[in-house]
Amino acid sequence: MATETQTEVVMPQMGVSVAEGTITKWLKAEGEPIARDESLLEISTDKVDTEVPSPGEGVLLKILVQEGETVEVGAILAVIGPEGSSAAAPVEDLPQPATQAAADATEAAASETAEPTDPTPTPTPAASAPASTATSDTASQAPSSGSDNGRTFVSPVVARIASEHGVDVARVQGTGNGGRVTKKDILAFVEGGGQSAPAASSDATSQAPAATAPPSAPAAPAPPAAAAAGAPAPPKPAEAPVAAGEAGPGETFEPMTAMRRGIAEHMRRSLDTSAYVTSAIEVDMSKVVAIRGKLKKEFEAAYGVNPTYLAFIARATVETLREYPWINGEIRGDKIVTRNYVHLGFAVELADGKGLIVPVIKNVEGMNLLGIAKSVVEIAQRARDKKLTPDDVQGGTFTITNPGGYGTFHGTPVISQPQAGILGTYAVVKRPWVVQDDRGQDVLAIRPIMNLTLTYDHRLVDGALAGRFLRDLRGRLESWGESDY
Amino acid sequence: MAEKTYLQAISDGLRQELRRDERVFVIGEDVGVYGGAFKVTLGFQEEFGPWRIIDSPLAETAIVGACTGAAMMGMRPVAEMQFADFISCAWDHLVTVAAKQRFRAGTPVPIVVRLPSGGGFSGGPFHSQNPESSFAHIPGLKCVCPATPEDAKGLLVAAIEDPNPVLFFEHKHLYRRIKGEVPDERYVTPIGKARTHREGEDISVITWGAMVYTADEAAKQLEEADDVSVEVIDLRTVMPWDKEAVLASVRKCSKVLVLHEDTRTGGFGGEIAATIGEEAFEDLDAPIKRVCAPDCPVPFSPILEKAYIPQVDDVVKGLRELAAY
Amino acid sequence: MAVREAEPVGSFSEVKEAGLDREDLLGIYRNLLVTRAIEERGHILYKQGKIPGSFYTGRGNEGAAVGVASAMGPDDVGTPLHRDMGVHVTRGVEPWRILAQYMGREDGPTRGRDGNVHMADARLGMIAMVSHLPAMLPVAVGCALAFRIREEKRVAVGWFGEGSAARGDAHEAMNLAGVRQLPVVFVCGNNQWAYSTPTHLGYAVEHLADRAAAYGFEGVVVDGTDVLAVYREAKAAIEKAREGGGPTLLELKTLRMEGHAVHDDAFYVPKELFEEWAKRDPIERFRTWLRENAELTDEEEEGISGRVKKLLNDALAQADESPQPDPATLLDGVWATPEDLDTPHHK
Repeated sequence: MATETQTEVVMPQMGVSVAEGTITKWLKAEGEPIARDESLLEISTDKVDTEVPSPGEGVLLKILVQEGETVEVGAILAVIGPEGSSAAAPVEDLPQPATQAAADATEAAASETAEPTDPTPTPTPAASAPASTATSDTASQAPSSGSDNGRTFVSPVVARIASEHGVDVARVQGTGNGGRVTKKDILAFVEGGGQSAPAASSDATSQAPAATAPPSAPAAPAPPAAAAAGAPAPPKPAEAPVAAGEAGPGETFEPMTAMRRGIAEHMRRSLDTSAYVTSAIEVDMSKVVAIRGKLKKEFEAAYGVNPTYLAFIARATVETLREYPWINGEIRGDKIVTRNYVHLGFAVELADGKGLIVPVIKNVEGMNLLGIAKSVVEIAQRARDKKLTPDDVQGGTFTITNPGGYGTFHGTPVISQPQAGILGTYAVVKRPWVVQDDRGQDVLAIRPIMNLTLTYDHRLVDGALAGRFLRDLRGRLESWGESDY
Repeated sequence: MAEKTYLQAISDGLRQELRRDERVFVIGEDVGVYGGAFKVTLGFQEEFGPWRIIDSPLAETAIVGACTGAAMMGMRPVAEMQFADFISCAWDHLVTVAAKQRFRAGTPVPIVVRLPSGGGFSGGPFHSQNPESSFAHIPGLKCVCPATPEDAKGLLVAAIEDPNPVLFFEHKHLYRRIKGEVPDERYVTPIGKARTHREGEDISVITWGAMVYTADEAAKQLEEADDVSVEVIDLRTVMPWDKEAVLASVRKCSKVLVLHEDTRTGGFGGEIAATIGEEAFEDLDAPIKRVCAPDCPVPFSPILEKAYIPQVDDVVKGLRELAAY
Repeated sequence: MAVREAEPVGSFSEVKEAGLDREDLLGIYRNLLVTRAIEERGHILYKQGKIPGSFYTGRGNEGAAVGVASAMGPDDVGTPLHRDMGVHVTRGVEPWRILAQYMGREDGPTRGRDGNVHMADARLGMIAMVSHLPAMLPVAVGCALAFRIREEKRVAVGWFGEGSAARGDAHEAMNLAGVRQLPVVFVCGNNQWAYSTPTHLGYAVEHLADRAAAYGFEGVVVDGTDVLAVYREAKAAIEKAREGGGPTLLELKTLRMEGHAVHDDAFYVPKELFEEWAKRDPIERFRTWLRENAELTDEEEEGISGRVKKLLNDALAQADESPQPDPATLLDGVWATPEDLDTPHHK
């Protein structure tokens, strides 16, 4: 090694197994001139004693290892350079990048997203996919809840299929050793349309019975093209992805997590299933803002709960859904399903951008504003603590999502199958607004405006219906009274 | 197209190449006047002369080493070891010179070493081995193990064409017992590509050589008696092996049995099983199973040999365990 | 067939009969000097830590190597070993490539994949050696077999040392060559020490050349420090093989003037032996012969030395520029491709 002006003298390796050498004699002193190839020092190794010819020319600037010292092969023994220069300090190793700093950053990010201010900072559209993550966790942690399976061992391929389809393995009848769920069993389950629906199976002719607990034995292995099944049933299991081949220049590969694969599959399937239309409306939130301001202190003091915008909107939505049961409904086979209850799902973004999950609050129709606010906080926390049960993420009838958490004002979220619609909320933005003064004249005011979108399945919900729903929802929000809860 | 035995197919392919390309020559013990210990080169010396069908002294290193030198000078030598077992005498040369010459010195070594391998007829420890795994382990050597007459001819032609040293394991027990349709004309069966010997869905058997027929018998039994559908993949080449074909079969069936006649520990099945574990873990519905010969030399007595060589029953047992898992 | 001991070479006219003119002789002298210069430079580089692994040279063997190589025809092939740098030099390998090879650089003939003299330029008719000696003998015999099958007038030369003569490869190769009367010349470099093993612990006959009779051909013992004697005997053997006369075993006697490798100081070799053979240094011997028999002048001598020095300095500079091999290319070349068979060196 040499810089432009200086040459380093290193301990040579005198033989393959030699690892070190000892300096027996320096033939030159510091400051003495030395010519290239001239003998500079003598060394001794396990195998042989020899002299070392100088690799450079000039003056012996600095001797770094003294006579009698033993050093490793490759160690720098001295520095040679032009007369008058001084030996450069050897380059030290740079300190390792602080891993602690990285760890701190991760924690900070995690705690940020855990802040319960607005519990739905979800930019991405909701989906029912991530139900599987919580499901498989619990399936492998705790013995099956509510199934007869004697064996809880889940093989790699069964775990993967379960994750991709959001299936709770515990709900699948196993025909393997000791009741183990085999690949065949879970494929048949999936093809039979057995998702998470708790209701009785329809009598759609071409459909295998939907799996309830305990499901009947699956039929003989269905052919891959089980797309003959009715609409809400997933057409066929996800096919093995096409191999990505080699990374091209500038490209990097990373594996897809089970959750990501699940999300990908569900998004695609949802868009393939419903006839997607979105309608939007602007809502003057001034009343809600005012009342929220008043209630906030009271709720926090008395109940330790923050009444978020989501709670207000959820309350108004549930009231409105009473009058529009199809928007809270579902197409199942050739029937339309409506309910006398609302299980409300709302999307939660997981820390570190790892994905999203949609916890479901059951029977929101019976809750008031306070009840909803409390339920939202509680379940959001459980989502972040990864303590959701399978029940927590199944059975939703309608979903609210907040794509506006980052300031956007419009979107077209993905419907969580087999629901018929999803409400998107957006940023509340102060805007110039035309209002009437006391004389009935048009004047400009500054109002907090929020856009709402309803993305709906046009097979069931027509545009007029959607429009009226939004109109009524807006009406409730814009006329929120102080005594409304 | 004609029906030929496995041996006739090899002989056919070799003769066609000798006629077609004057750079091809055969060297080995007793290959000339005697026509080869197994008569693969019967009549060859009459047709091609003593300098293309060369009776060599009993000297495996000289035989294979001379092939390397001649190949470097532009010939396409085909050495015949009288029994695959004798290749250990030339192991040094193959591993030290032939395998590494291209890598170190840029010089290709296009030789073929034909190896009558395998047991099943009381050949004893030195006439019955399947030594492919130790060579498959050495970078620079190719190992080919055809099971059918058609593949035997096509792979021999491919081996002669290949610019690398190719060890051609021809299973002795298939020589005269297996017949098949073999095209008359010259054709090349690609080295490194497996063949689906039997399609199935429930379990996949990965195997090569004579074991392909054992697997097939076992698969039949499972289908008839248990209604289990077994796929049999004939690797055909052990090095380089068709990983994609194996993984595709594993993804399809999710249960896999690796079968070979060589001994278990260090047999090539270990490499296949490890790769399946690494790359198809999430496609497995059962542990990977191996059925192989036990870790001992090939015994002479028929009773002992039967306990050594994987039998149809052994494969059936393994398949049934997998099916029930 | 008794073993013949070669006569030393006498006058310039004798040499002319053997086919060498003055140009050739000066060329041989230059090759000797280049050979030694390369190996001496290699020693220095090794002790400067610039050459990894072990380092082997053939001090004292320069005459034997250059002598045989000078007798080979342009289309003949050979498998020189680690004491035979003179063969590479004589056949035309550029010194800078040799130094790059020593240092494991990209421009060495093996591109860093093998070290020291485990190299060869196949275009110049040489085959790269391996460590398991004498593994190259069956290969040399194979080359001769190809020539015989194709009835080409080409000869293969296979080198081995007196130590490796103990291994079966030597027997199998010479036996096959003798049985088939193949056009191959076996050159045994007997430098009297196989690492620390002296000859009396390596073989039980008086001369290794004695073994030739066992294979059906002639053995010749030659003073390996006499480059002209080596040339003459090698030429005779090579031409005999070329004309279908079969193999010859040449035993070239020298002394290994250094340790087995740089890490070995050869303490087991009696000092007197070194002193005695130092007087027979092949380069000094030839220089004296040229002065006495070919009227080599001071000018000519200085001219040749000067050119050799410059050649080596340029070679070092050029080799030093050669890049280190790229680890990303590690797996390149494990498998040959069909294109590899279309290169001229493969004919």
